[in-house]
Amino acid sequence: MLFDFVVLGATGEEGNITSKDLLESGYSVLLCGRNKSRIKTLLKYKKAKFAYVDLNNIEKTAGILKKSGAKIAVNCAELRMNINAMKACLISGLHYLDLGGLQEMTIQQYKFDKDFKKRKLTALLGCGSTPGISNVMAAYAVNKMDSVEHIEVGFAWDSNIKKFILPYSIESIVHELTTDPIVLDNGKFKKTKACTFEGALKFREIKKQNTYCIVHSEVFTFKRYFGKKGLKFVHYKAGFPEHSFKVLDAIIKLGFGSKEPININGINLRPIDFTREVLKKIDRPKGYKETEDIWIKVYGKYGGRPKKIEMDCLVKTLKGWEDVGSNINTGMSISIMAQMLNKNLIKKEGITAPEEAVPCKSFFEELAKRKMYIYENNKRIN
Amino acid sequence: MKIKTNSKKDKNKIIGILGLGSMGKIIAKDLAETFNGKAIYLARDVNSVKNLAKKNDAEIRYADVSKPKTLVKAFKNIDVVIHAVHHEFNLDVMKACLKSKTNYIDLGGLYHYTKKQLKLNNQFKKNNLTAVLGIGASPGITNVLAKYASGFLDKVENIEIKIGYKDFSTYKQLSPLSASYSIQTIFEEFSWKPAVFENGKIKFVEPISGREEYKFPKPVGMQKPQYTIHSEIATLPYTLKAKNVSFKIAFDDDFVDKIKMLKEIGFISDEEIKIGKNKFNTKDVSLEILKKLPKTIPKRINEYEIIRAVVSSKHKKIIMDAKILGINETIDKDTGIPPSIIAQMIADGKIADKGVFPPESIIPEEDFFKELSKRKIYIYKNDKKIN
Ligand SMILES: NC(=O)c1ccc[n+]([C@@H]2O[C@H](COP(=O)([O-])OP(=O)(O)OC[C@H]3O[C@@H](n4cnc5c(N)ncnc54)[C@H](OP(=O)(O)O)[C@@H]3O)[C@@H](O)[C@H]2O)c1
Repeated sequence: MLFDFVVLGATGEEGNITSKDLLESGYSVLLCGRNKSRIKTLLKYKKAKFAYVDLNNIEKTAGILKKSGAKIAVNCAELRMNINAMKACLISGLHYLDLGGLQEMTIQQYKFDKDFKKRKLTALLGCGSTPGISNVMAAYAVNKMDSVEHIEVGFAWDSNIKKFILPYSIESIVHELTTDPIVLDNGKFKKTKACTFEGALKFREIKKQNTYCIVHSEVFTFKRYFGKKGLKFVHYKAGFPEHSFKVLDAIIKLGFGSKEPININGINLRPIDFTREVLKKIDRPKGYKETEDIWIKVYGKYGGRPKKIEMDCLVKTLKGWEDVGSNINTGMSISIMAQMLNKNLIKKEGITAPEEAVPCKSFFEELAKRKMYIYENNKRIN
Repeated sequence: MKIKTNSKKDKNKIIGILGLGSMGKIIAKDLAETFNGKAIYLARDVNSVKNLAKKNDAEIRYADVSKPKTLVKAFKNIDVVIHAVHHEFNLDVMKACLKSKTNYIDLGGLYHYTKKQLKLNNQFKKNNLTAVLGIGASPGITNVLAKYASGFLDKVENIEIKIGYKDFSTYKQLSPLSASYSIQTIFEEFSWKPAVFENGKIKFVEPISGREEYKFPKPVGMQKPQYTIHSEIATLPYTLKAKNVSFKIAFDDDFVDKIKMLKEIGFISDEEIKIGKNKFNTKDVSLEILKKLPKTIPKRINEYEIIRAVVSSKHKKIIMDAKILGINETIDKDTGIPPSIIAQMIADGKIADKGVFPPESIIPEEDFFKELSKRKIYIYKNDKKIN
């Protein structure tokens, strides 16, 4: 069987959502990963098949990509595998999309720009909710201004039942909360302390919430694409409800996020790999519903006067997708962008990001079909 | 502290300490300071105890609790073995004692193990041996306090045991999870349903329940003791014929929150977990992760513990307290000292009954209190010091 798409890391939380969205849209999908038991339901789709892929082995991965017949690889695996996945795409000649590489990884990924251009391939980085939706919203807002000075960007979410549910990849969360982030401050990249408190903010349909400055790729890509419009400040603010943040903080403080292997009965085990498996066993309880706001505030000038545009993308637990809560905004976004690439709506070659390559209007329309609504200064626009 | 009563050593009296972890080390210290016989350290890693043995003039023998044969061999000629490895091995060690003809002492069996251990009574009797179960601070001192109080009542109705603790120490470094005893035991205490004896019947309540404010005497003050699975409930209802017996221990809020959280999100589960090709026991991996945390390094230890037994009849109430001040030594000594005292009483023939006993059934209370007072553990009856 030949496939329309390959999903790498289809066995993860986001990969599951992406794959289901692609399959529901009628495409054939080769589901790649290591832990097949996590995609039993997806394999019930006629156009789905599993392939064992360990991204540590680039050659083998490239072979599977090539044999799949697909033109596009959608990488939903843990971000530390991004470079390997890109290399496999270069070898096999597939377009590439991923969910972002935070800061260190994103910098490394841009170094492959020439290689992708040479092969006339697109590599679209950071196609989830944030990075992803946030970047497209930023482009939409920045386009309406003559110049832009300051962008604040972030997410906030909450649930009706205050039970701890792993919001997304624990490995990424630990990385985000423990790595000293770089911010854009007065035109210069500057390092700050990990997870500094950025104040309690009020969000659309979400109660007041503490926010923290964490590592995120938007700081780099916004500067790259909006720098010529004068952008001087980018601040990332992550919001977690207290019941969730308390647990994440304790997990880290108690050593469960450590990457330093420990020896257990002669086997070396990274605590983070253990933690990931333990936390994955926690199911969303019946009636559990999430609301998430991906938000961005753009401050600039239009017609010589100061202008502020506030954009929100609001998502709620969707019928038929209860088991993944608000995470649909990540998994579905990359599916939408992959489909746009497939339909030639995204043409840019080389390394690119959603704020440069993704047409805002049609992307927002696709979000609305999935009940994710975009607000511009509190007015719904999709 | 040197309180040797008899300076002449009698090398024929031998006490063995099985396991030289934090409790084993306290026991070793007390024996070195107070016992006029010979101590033998029974350890899996012989090298790790060499320095201590040299300092305390003790002998070392190899013994691995997971290999019962090594125990029988190691126990040879020992009068009493104090078992200070984890309680899951209590039964195995007792069985080895039956084979080697050695008297036995342990630090407790979290109710369920104790129940099984008591069933070896006839075998110990037949073999002319004594076993005393659960003689640390709690269980241990608690049981003896309750027994002592019962002597002032015609009929015991209620026994409430409550442990309160306050830390006034200063620290160079604080561990993110400071526990005053084995995290493994704490995991069990926080996940097994506590037994409560109510109206003449055992019932099991939710772990970490019954957390209510309770005022201990100064300087401990207000604490929130919670029900915990403990072996006192396995014996006191029957030995002292009480109608209601409960056990509660206080932990600080932050500690309880963290353990509760680990439990709620699945880290303390006994389930098998698959990671890649390997399978692990969830709780075991969590324990290993927690063991790697930075240790608490005190600048000056200053701890205070109150072990309280409130024993009442219909008309009369007696409050017994054991008060332990830890200055420059941790209050854990209240768990390490009692087994040393009782082992010496057995070795000296002061405790001579044969069979398997909980502390309240065999320990001469006043002699025991006297020994505790020599080690600065003071007993109060209705607020009046009695030792
Ligand atoms: N842009 C955004 O808005 C956004 C939002 C959320 C998450 N993310 C990012 O998306 C990524 C995935 O997140 P998630 O929540 O889905 O995490 P997850 O549930 O932990 O999934 C991780 C996936 O990575 C795969 N993987 C890891 N190492 C691999 C290897 N060596 N070879 C092949 N596959 C490997 C895993 O496969 P097996 O289990 O089969 O081994 C699994 O499918 C993370 O990097 C996260 O930061 C981005």
